Amino acid sequence: MVYDVNFGWSGMISEVILGATKADGGTRRISYRIGGGKTLPFLERKPGSSVPLIAFEICDNPQYWSPIVRNFCGDLVNDCGEWAQAADSVYKADMVRLYLTSTRQRDFSDIASVGKTVETVLSGTSLPLIIEGSNEPKIDSEVFLKCGEAGQGERLLLGTAEAGRYRSIAAAAMAYNHSVIAQSPIDVNLAKQLNILLKEIGVSRDRIIIDPYTGSLGYGFEYSYSAMERIRFSALKGDADLSMPLICSATDTLTVKEVREASPAIQDDIAVQWEFTTGIAAAVAGSEIICVRHPRTIPLLRKAFGSLNTEDSGKGE
Amino acid sequence: MRTVTFLPGYRKIEIARGSTILDAAQRAGLNINVVCGGQGKCGKCIVYVQSGKTSFDAQKYGRFFTDEERSRGACLACETTIESDLQVFIPESTLIQEQKILIEGQETAIEFHPSVRKYYVELQPPTLSDPSPDLSRLLWGIQKTGGPAAEKMYVPLEVLREIPAILRHSEWKSTGTISLVPGGYRLVDLQENDTSKRLYGAAVDLGSTTIVVYLWDLVSGKIAGIASNYNRQISCGEDILARVNFARKNGLGKLQALATESINAAITSASNTAGIDREDIYEVVVAGNTVMTHMLLGIDPAYMISEPYVPVVRRALSVATGRIGIACNKNGGLFVFPAVSDFIGGDIIADILACGMSEKEEISLLIDIGTNFEVVLGNNEWMFSCAGAAGPALEGGEVLFGMRANPGAIEKITIDPDTLNPVYSTINGIKPRGICGSGLIDLLAELLCTCVIDRTGRINSGIANPRIRTSGHFPEFVIAWAAETDIGKDIVITENDIKNLIMSKASVHAACLTLMNQAGITRREITTIYFAGAFGNYINKKNATIIGLIPEIGIDRIINIGNGAVTGANIALINRRKRKTLDEIAFRIAYIELNAESSFMDEYTSSTFLPHTDLTLFPIVQKLLDTCRLAGR
Repeated sequence: MVYDVNFGWSGMISEVILGATKADGGTRRISYRIGGGKTLPFLERKPGSSVPLIAFEICDNPQYWSPIVRNFCGDLVNDCGEWAQAADSVYKADMVRLYLTSTRQRDFSDIASVGKTVETVLSGTSLPLIIEGSNEPKIDSEVFLKCGEAGQGERLLLGTAEAGRYRSIAAAAMAYNHSVIAQSPIDVNLAKQLNILLKEIGVSRDRIIIDPYTGSLGYGFEYSYSAMERIRFSALKGDADLSMPLICSATDTLTVKEVREASPAIQDDIAVQWEFTTGIAAAVAGSEIICVRHPRTIPLLRKAFGSLNTEDSGKGE
Repeated sequence: MRTVTFLPGYRKIEIARGSTILDAAQRAGLNINVVCGGQGKCGKCIVYVQSGKTSFDAQKYGRFFTDEERSRGACLACETTIESDLQVFIPESTLIQEQKILIEGQETAIEFHPSVRKYYVELQPPTLSDPSPDLSRLLWGIQKTGGPAAEKMYVPLEVLREIPAILRHSEWKSTGTISLVPGGYRLVDLQENDTSKRLYGAAVDLGSTTIVVYLWDLVSGKIAGIASNYNRQISCGEDILARVNFARKNGLGKLQALATESINAAITSASNTAGIDREDIYEVVVAGNTVMTHMLLGIDPAYMISEPYVPVVRRALSVATGRIGIACNKNGGLFVFPAVSDFIGGDIIADILACGMSEKEEISLLIDIGTNFEVVLGNNEWMFSCAGAAGPALEGGEVLFGMRANPGAIEKITIDPDTLNPVYSTINGIKPRGICGSGLIDLLAELLCTCVIDRTGRINSGIANPRIRTSGHFPEFVIAWAAETDIGKDIVITENDIKNLIMSKASVHAACLTLMNQAGITRREITTIYFAGAFGNYINKKNATIIGLIPEIGIDRIINIGNGAVTGANIALINRRKRKTLDEIAFRIAYIELNAESSFMDEYTSSTFLPHTDLTLFPIVQKLLDTCRLAGR
């Protein structure tokens, strides 16, 4: 049966380019153009429609990371260059997302090291990068500027702007030609408000990725799902201030009680299943970048995406 | 017992140990400002203990004081218990002051058609050949002088008992007062000789903060006097909830007495000014919110403040004034406006009567803002209403330097886009002490237009200007430097204040949108927005639109009706036909419970943005803001 998968919608998800290849002035071996959808996820079965990207999350100070990942990845976690390389060549992620957890130490002031870390990861992998700056308003500005500077020309995705702190990250993104993750607390209106704020200080629409905040499965994920759905619907109905692609990062997944307290023999499996189920659901709701921390989640998600999208024709440019 | 001496007036009061200073002050007849009803939340009841022993948790309430104030003995009157004899200094700022009370209603020509009339009759004394009884003789006389048909007039026993003596003593020349009550015509009074020129009525706006009385000459149809004063119930709690809780604890009697006392004081003051004997006032019409009128009538309001929020009575009521202690003719009538619900009371019905929206074909939106707000949308066929809590921010509460519209309050303000220097004016033109609601609205709009704050109300700390700084946890904007003020402190607005204001304005706007959705109309179909109440009277309409307090419909179509409650009461007092329609209006209005409306939260969140998340609802404001941004930073 043939039916109209566009349901009369006139809007389109705006396109955002992540990563810059040599031709674009960067050093990445690939870049992605996400967005462009005109209907719900996985309904667009025509050539060129892409499946969600899988980003593998690493950090530069693993003391803040789940022991499950530390155990699985072993010594890699102490060298973010090698970790990034493994994410690329061994775990087969589409992107690497670096959390600068080192900046969370009390009175952190070694801004120069931030630049070095970013450079290390850039040379460890040639995949496009997402960089998460500090969580501390006092050093935000310097950290973001340093990240932006170190990744100049690479079309990074910088995170994370919130309604309470968006000026410094936006300034860094605009100065060095990067994109920005805009996070709001699971609410379609608040997501839109932040996009308007970013627009008004000069960040263009094709430089914003919406993070509606993802609660992990069993811990509020259904709210996130509903927010993602509503954002996607608003975009398709033509609301330009909500038309940006979505990113999902259920960062609490590996610390939920069910995973934390699982018996050691099955803990890894539970962790992977939890992350996978959250990720696939977010993709169905409209998320175009799914972030994971357990390497074993990546092949599962990839297989699932392939089976949902019968005409996967590759996503690189 | 402990003796507490209050300075500077040296007023003394004896009170049990363990009572609060607030209790003592109230007993001493001092009107302390207790916005929160004495719960230690508002920090407005600061007093200085100069000698004696008290117990006060300075740690817990430290945020309300500077160290210097603490060292001088500052504490909160409501949270300080008395241990020994005390000397307490009450600063002027802690006392409730003369407030700008809006007594002016709207100037409208109201058709004069009162429901009380006096008839002077000169009767033939009875004789053996004309032995008809006194009453028939009197009623026929009244009918002949133009009064209602004799058989249609009811005469209560109390009046009947007085008839024979008065008629004979006055040698059959007397004046009867006939009132039209729901049951029909009623002879309410009989006086010797011709008093037909002396007939007055009072229209009362019974507000939870202020009371306004208009005295009307019901013979000439002219206003004879106006007076206003505070609702003395304030001493039992600033807001309605606090007062109902007070009534629950201490009984309704005191609140009922304070309500009548307050009305009586206003009536007396208006009568004295106009040179009128209160005995000549035969009718009192009261418009007040539902809890206020319940309390006035001595009907227990305790069940109204919890779910499912049901009032005891909704329809209009007529009772003898003597039964509730109103100071006027003992046989006078009291008419109380009907209500729609707990939250849409007679004051709102009076607003509707005043603006006439229930008689017009075009659609109007009526907004009455105080600590609570009420919104009514509709026309001559249908009407929806809702009410909610706007929070005290728009009246100056929960704002660091917020204050009521008292002398010294900044009431108007503009900000120079280049220097960010404000130009402001204060009530009475004295040095500023704080900012009141209308000033806060101006401030919010000006800060937005000058890009000092973004659309979520956050201050852009990146702007290099001495007025923008961070103190404590929040960035703030300095409106007046200490040297220009009356309080010796910089008057600032903090990011947190702005957040509170935005939450207040968002609930009002979300309520408007919820009613519009319910009726299935857009802002384009609204012909007029009526602002009722003091708040609406003083605010800048353009700025109210810029911040998204109200839907954008063009400022020339926003009309202030002033004190609509008293205007409505005036109309009902002097025009009995209009009064008759009130019950019908009240019953026609559908009440929307915002708590039960799932879309309200959504509308609220989208309204927590300046002016609104959906910018297409504010096309003119959007254009204006774009221009400001181009011109400035």
